[in-house]
Amino acid sequence: MNVHDELSDNEVLRAASKSLSALPMARPPDVGAIMARGRRRRRHRLSGVAALSVAAAGTALVLGLTGVLGPASARAPGTIRTASFTLVSNSNGTATLTINPNELLDAAALQNDLNQDGIPAMVTSGSFCSSDPAPTGFSQVVSFYPPPTSAFAQQQKGVHPTIAFSPAAMPAGTKLSFGVFQLDSGRQQADFELINVSSYTCTSTPPQGPDNGAQFQVGPTGPAGSATSSQGR
Amino acid sequence: VSDQQTEFADFFQASWEPCLRAVVAIVGSLQLAEDQVAEAFAKAWASWPKVRRHPAPRAWVVRTALNAGASWWRRRGRELPLADHDPMASGDLDDGLDARLLTAICRLPPRQREVIALRIFLDLDTATIAGQLGIEAGTARMHLSRGVTALRRELTPTNNMEAGQ
Repeated sequence: MNVHDELSDNEVLRAASKSLSALPMARPPDVGAIMARGRRRRRHRLSGVAALSVAAAGTALVLGLTGVLGPASARAPGTIRTASFTLVSNSNGTATLTINPNELLDAAALQNDLNQDGIPAMVTSGSFCSSDPAPTGFSQVVSFYPPPTSAFAQQQKGVHPTIAFSPAAMPAGTKLSFGVFQLDSGRQQADFELINVSSYTCTSTPPQGPDNGAQFQVGPTGPAGSATSSQGR
Repeated sequence: VSDQQTEFADFFQASWEPCLRAVVAIVGSLQLAEDQVAEAFAKAWASWPKVRRHPAPRAWVVRTALNAGASWWRRRGRELPLADHDPMASGDLDDGLDARLLTAICRLPPRQREVIALRIFLDLDTATIAGQLGIEAGTARMHLSRGVTALRRELTPTNNMEAGQ
């Protein structure tokens, strides 16, 4: 880009547009699915009017159940949201996990939701399981954004690490092993890599760095929170 | 297929990407934005007779998407994390000017970011932007001006030289 001493407003906006346009967007969802979702919403809205008379009693019941069961994850078709992550099932069979850098991970919820999305995963809290030798193909199964090695990733506070999974690329007999460790700083470290289901060992010591997988940290660090990440082979 | 279905499908195909880019720029997360924009288009179809007559239907979708996101965070007892969050970066994005500019956009105050996103991706004038955001036109112009000034700093030769050192 040519840079001048004083750019006009339009030139600045064009440059901003170009930068934002460099972010690749997913293909739009099927319009039929969107319209079906809209029809459900319309029906729901209409039926909601008729149901108003019983809403008060229903609310009391729901509040009671929530107190017993705890807050439920917010779910939309293909999407699982919790306070600490969002997991989206893509139409091409991949799944995308976006981490909220300010929240501590719930290992049980993560394991349950990954498995529900067809990603063979074993999430352990306070330990990390690995195979020696590690199965090959981690980089075909997992993509990490922003790239942990990029200066952009290192500089960001509050960036949401995004991990894309391709379950179809996982070698037979393997799983993704996630180990979530509570650090003295109050943050969490998460390590993950591929393991052979038939041969792995677990350790309660947080790995120093990812030789064959990836690592990130989440949790409170101040007003903005932050996530740091690194990735091995 | 009815005329309205065809009309909505055409609107959807033409508007999905600009609406999504605008929401990504504002909320700072591609995944959240995709879900919120999909929900907003579903709402648009549920109210299509009204939305099709709207003076700026794409702006209606973006506003609805942002409201959906805000509602979701309110339900969870959280504030929508606009100010302190940066957008998802892409592996295809280099670490140069684009990344710095992206970071600068995301560090703008939320209202400035909204005004700039609506201007860039929906090509709205400040009066229409003001109407969509429920603010005075003069206020929208002020947010736009301040936002542009902040972004200009990232584009000055001084900053580029420093970044290259």
